[in-house]
Amino acid sequence: MARELSWIERIAAGAGLVPKQQPENDRRADGTLAAYPPFEEWGDYVEQDVTRRKRRYSLIPTTCFNCEAGCGLLAFVDQETGEISKLEGNPLHPGSRGRNCAKGPATVNQLTDPERIMEPLKRVGPRGSGEFEPVSWDEALEDIAGRIRKAFDEGRGKEVMYHVGRPGHEAFMERLLAAWGIDGHNSHTNICSSSARLGYQMTFGFDRPSPDYEHAQLILLVSAHLESGHYFNPHAQRIIEAKNRGARVVVIDPRLSNTAASADVWIPARPGTEAALLLAAVRIVLERGEIDREFVERWVDWRGYLQALHPEDTVEFDQFVQRLTESFASYTVEWAAEEAGIEPQLIEALAVEIARAGSRVATHVWRAAATGNEWGWQCARVLGLITTLTGSVGAPGGTSPHGWNKYKPSFWSTPDGPKEWNELQWPREYPLSFYELSILLPHFVREGRGKLDVYFTRVYNPVWTNPDGFQWIEMLQNEEQVGCYVALTPTWNESAYFADYVLPMGHAPERHDIQSQETHAGVWVSYRQPVKRALAQLRGENVSDTRDTNPGEVWEEDEFWIDLTWRIDPDGSRGIRKHYESPYRPGEKVTTEDYYRWVFENAVPGLPEAAAAKGMQPLEYMRRIGAFELKRDIYRLHENEVAGLDANALEDDDRGRVHADGKKVGVRVDGKVCQGFPTPSGRIEIYSETLAEWGFADKALPAYNPSHVGPQAIDPENGIYTLVPTFRLPTMIHTRSANSKWLNEISHNNPVWIHPDDAARHGIEDTTLIRVETAIGWFVNRARVTHSMRPGVIACSHHMGRWRMEKGPGSRWTSPTIKLEQLDGEQRRLRIQAPVEGFDSDDPDSGRTWWKEAGVNQNLAFPVQPDPASGMHCWHQVVKLTKASSDDQYGDVVVDLAKSRQHYETWLAKTQPAPGPGGLRRPRWLPRPVKPHDSTYEI
Amino acid sequence: MTSTDSASTSYGFVIDNRRCIGCHACTVACKSEHEDPIQVNKTWVSYIEKGVYPDTTRQFHVMRCNHCADAPCVEICPTACLTTRDDGIVDFDPGRCIGCKACMQACPYDAITINPDSGTATKCNYCAHRVEESREPACVVVCPAEAIVPGDLNDPGSKIAKIVASQDVSVRKPEKGTLPKLYYVDGDAAALQPAASIRTRETLWGEKAPDIVDDTPVAEGQIRSAAAGAPRRAYDIAQRHAGSWGWKVSAYLFTKSIAAGAFLVPALATLAGLHLAGTHLVGIVVALLALAATGVLLVSDLKRPERFLWVLLRPQWKSWLVRGAYIIAGYSAILLIMLALFLRGDGLGATSATVLAIIGCVLAAGTASYSGWLFGQAKGRDLWQSPLVPLHLLVQAMVVGMALFLPMVDATWYPQVFAVLLAVDLVFVVQDVWGRHQTADASRAAKLMRSGNWGVLLIAGSLLAGHVVPMFLCFSQGTAPQVLAAILAGAGVAIYEHLWVAAPQRVALA
Repeated sequence: MARELSWIERIAAGAGLVPKQQPENDRRADGTLAAYPPFEEWGDYVEQDVTRRKRRYSLIPTTCFNCEAGCGLLAFVDQETGEISKLEGNPLHPGSRGRNCAKGPATVNQLTDPERIMEPLKRVGPRGSGEFEPVSWDEALEDIAGRIRKAFDEGRGKEVMYHVGRPGHEAFMERLLAAWGIDGHNSHTNICSSSARLGYQMTFGFDRPSPDYEHAQLILLVSAHLESGHYFNPHAQRIIEAKNRGARVVVIDPRLSNTAASADVWIPARPGTEAALLLAAVRIVLERGEIDREFVERWVDWRGYLQALHPEDTVEFDQFVQRLTESFASYTVEWAAEEAGIEPQLIEALAVEIARAGSRVATHVWRAAATGNEWGWQCARVLGLITTLTGSVGAPGGTSPHGWNKYKPSFWSTPDGPKEWNELQWPREYPLSFYELSILLPHFVREGRGKLDVYFTRVYNPVWTNPDGFQWIEMLQNEEQVGCYVALTPTWNESAYFADYVLPMGHAPERHDIQSQETHAGVWVSYRQPVKRALAQLRGENVSDTRDTNPGEVWEEDEFWIDLTWRIDPDGSRGIRKHYESPYRPGEKVTTEDYYRWVFENAVPGLPEAAAAKGMQPLEYMRRIGAFELKRDIYRLHENEVAGLDANALEDDDRGRVHADGKKVGVRVDGKVCQGFPTPSGRIEIYSETLAEWGFADKALPAYNPSHVGPQAIDPENGIYTLVPTFRLPTMIHTRSANSKWLNEISHNNPVWIHPDDAARHGIEDTTLIRVETAIGWFVNRARVTHSMRPGVIACSHHMGRWRMEKGPGSRWTSPTIKLEQLDGEQRRLRIQAPVEGFDSDDPDSGRTWWKEAGVNQNLAFPVQPDPASGMHCWHQVVKLTKASSDDQYGDVVVDLAKSRQHYETWLAKTQPAPGPGGLRRPRWLPRPVKPHDSTYEI
Repeated sequence: MTSTDSASTSYGFVIDNRRCIGCHACTVACKSEHEDPIQVNKTWVSYIEKGVYPDTTRQFHVMRCNHCADAPCVEICPTACLTTRDDGIVDFDPGRCIGCKACMQACPYDAITINPDSGTATKCNYCAHRVEESREPACVVVCPAEAIVPGDLNDPGSKIAKIVASQDVSVRKPEKGTLPKLYYVDGDAAALQPAASIRTRETLWGEKAPDIVDDTPVAEGQIRSAAAGAPRRAYDIAQRHAGSWGWKVSAYLFTKSIAAGAFLVPALATLAGLHLAGTHLVGIVVALLALAATGVLLVSDLKRPERFLWVLLRPQWKSWLVRGAYIIAGYSAILLIMLALFLRGDGLGATSATVLAIIGCVLAAGTASYSGWLFGQAKGRDLWQSPLVPLHLLVQAMVVGMALFLPMVDATWYPQVFAVLLAVDLVFVVQDVWGRHQTADASRAAKLMRSGNWGVLLIAGSLLAGHVVPMFLCFSQGTAPQVLAAILAGAGVAIYEHLWVAAPQRVALA
């Protein structure tokens, strides 16, 4: 050992004057380092900690609960203390493969946050007063169940609503609500991905893409997958691998994201013009004939295209190609470059990359152009067109429909589902929406379209996260409109201030559910589990309630809902309870163990065999390994021949569809009946009959439809800019991660990015206080002057700007203390009273924070702007930028509720309301959560 | 990797910037593994933005301990808390650290922090506890992009050795001669050289933790003169090293000067046959008091003051902190013996007295000047690297010593020698501050000393009032002007020493 002790020290130590040097650990690596201990050692693994103390761990897998990617985690549970020492990755998880982003290991902060909610709380003061008192689970459950039972018994099932922020609880809630018989599912989708979903659905019959980045040649991102979004870590791994193998990465973003910074080509197009430049590239590819003719001829519904748009034409493929080429003739490079505000060479370069990539084009458009812009779904349509024309759909290195790579469980009983259509979530104005019009809820309730008797939010913070948050506050404070608000959340959030019950739910290693995501060309399912309970069960101990192993009174949703369901239907007379009886012990309440045991034994193909090979039961396999890969190398499923058909009973139509008993069963290709795509035509739809029939005939083809923030809307000379408010940070996830001190230390505010020329125009320098005026009010933030922003556009991350009220609880790591004020008329103002300050707690770090400014809650100042078709909240804003006035303070948000209502009405007027063809509320072929009975589709 | 002989193992890192996505997972995994508090960032990700739109880039560089093959932190560490292991990992043992912060002066890369919970030095130790269990460091395992490559540089078959052999790699500050073993593929000078980018207090999404480098005129000047698109830090952390040696260290230099000078001046005069009546006892008493003050300052500057004796009892002999402690201890012993002899009043034989005085002079001179070599071991501080520092400290001790006795002595040669010494010191100071410097960081530190308030203090306070004025004033008759001259000269030295200690600590190291 290198440390040689002096003779003086040996004498001094001998005399007891100084401590004896601890003997050095002589166990040395042989030079070979492994990422993880072998699985065989997970049950009982000894590893020294930093102090060289031997620690005996049990390594129990679970699934990360921060973002939506569902990455594997491995909890190191100290056998001596029974506590989780740390969380590393799960090397046996097929999506994340043992690696994680910063938010994975940061989970341990969330477990030990000195301010986490440790027991159920009940409001005692007026709504929003911040006064709560502890309540027993029993009392809370009885009260809530009683209200729901009464509502059901009185035929007011529509007044019960569940609103989910963080999903990843595959099928559990859909089944629960179906069992309750209510159309009560609400989600965060229309502040997240509605437009992308509509675009993909109308093209492929699946509402999400699954790019096979790993094998791609061109990775075309209208997104920031190296730092965020569906699915950051699993996708970033594969993008980087491909890039280092020689793949080209092209990123379209007005802001130099970390992803754009790592790209081979950065195209900083004006927001809303992405489809224009992409179509210009498509035009080049088409005119040069650089398309996969064979693929397009076989798998595109070109017959439908010609029949609808050129009925007089001969129905021949060449004719289609000619017509398609003609239809994009106006998308010249010069025009598109001008429109997008970019160099024409960038479009040429993109076209070259597309042609060079052949069928290996992987693309994505999550949380970017599709999310920000009116008609943003056209961007997804155009990306679908590119993958189609190159034959990349379903190809290795291409882009598959997500459904091929995502697992869906099934259960021992299937409830009938709702018999009533709930127009609070599914209004007639939005027959094609993906999915619920959740951002409009306060406006609908205000208009008297309905009200809520019991409103649940799960890991959702609409007051802070949704646009128009002051309208949410208005609604939540009104006990006539919301009878009882129950916030299910692991951590304090701004909406929970206004709740009647705040019910603490566990973090990643403290809850049950299963998750599956389309991270690559395979299918996997991952098990999220309370690891301390799992450990006890592996040891043969009988733990029947997750609260027994969770800290304080923290619970989990699964057991909460099962318990609540039994209380709603205590004797089974309402027909609800039976779905929550054990499949193994008839008549008894199902346990989480029963639930997942049944799924793993019966509904995960291949798992029982894989478990048997290891000498385990399926549940034990998932408990110990945490994830299972059902399939890998999934490609070209559309080519699969449909099995079990009676050849004599088949009927072909003039669009190549094959029917049996009047039902479409597949498409005819080369004489065979193939699976095709679940669109009405059975093929990829460049022309969408559905869009045409439901009021969007002018947008039935992929096209550039100018956005509400397009070039015509902005005028930087007069201070009018596009605000891009959607970008995510690699370190944060909405309002879920603010109770991680290590993440806060890295990122804690959200200055507005602005190009130096724009800044100079207004006399703005770095850190200058600026006022950003929206259609309904303004917010005050600091500027960050940077060449990472295209001129004419400003951007502000949506991850910061948390707040807490003067009275009551909250998370102080990144929250200033604020006051909500009523100004003149209907003006509302949020104003900071005290900056972020260190606080005393058991964790000395809580006194070591140095940051004072924790960002601005810009979303409060945004009006609702639902896309007329998809219902997507179009996040981008047309704003007026000025230096702040002397009355403005950092963090101010001011909103005029009257203007907010007007803006809502303006956007509502753009819609194409149902009924559509057949007098329907919604095309039957479109997906939706908790699909109600067929009859409810008819108005 | 088949090496089994740990003596031939040399662990290092490659950071592959073709892969890094700047996600900060390494930072958080590291904090989790080591249970590190806020403000301890053993590894962090530097973001540098540069270029004019649309040719803007943002680069990520993972920064951490370089596990130098010739690690200056190990050499300066007085208690062998920091060591280079046989496998090439530069490790630390918090159980041995006294919190002297010398390592933070020695590391040219700002890789070392004081852990606020333990008051001991901490840094990346390659997760040595995991490596001993054959596990990769936590940052390596978590990295989504596999951008951090660990391994044995001495094993030609290892992935890391192959990358280093076949790729164009760079290290931070190779000119320091520390032989870093952290190699960057696609490393950019704008990130690897601290002065090549503009430091700002705001990052893309937060406030950088404040540090005292923030306020330096150099940083502000940099921003004002920056061309459009000049490299700018977009994510950055505090300069942890900055100001880690504060006023107590400058004050210690000064009390040490008094302690040395108070003995040296009368003793050298006597040895030269120029007896200065009444100065010997005063000198010994003042020297002992000043040494006591030195001790108090040194101990109280430790983050773990209760461990101060470990410098003597758990010594790492290459450290000049240890050598200095023994010199001071020896000097104190001689002074105490001489004081005892004085108090007993029976004196020594002339030869013995002379021998004792000579030994005392050597130790006093050592006490004054050893810090020169100590500061020289601080490889992070370029301004302290001048080989003349020990001599300069000795001159300063003599100035202070002569000033001390100025009002008491009426020999005519005394003010003449004093004035000459002041002039010599002035030459040293001017040379230090205005002379040519070997490195840009040394020039930066010198520039800081002559800029702003510090410049006023240096020129008006130290140079004019502290050197030039006493040079003339010392010739005036009367106690008052003599006392004034003595005080001014002492203050002149103290001011200079303080600025000289403070300024290099305001130069960014990372």
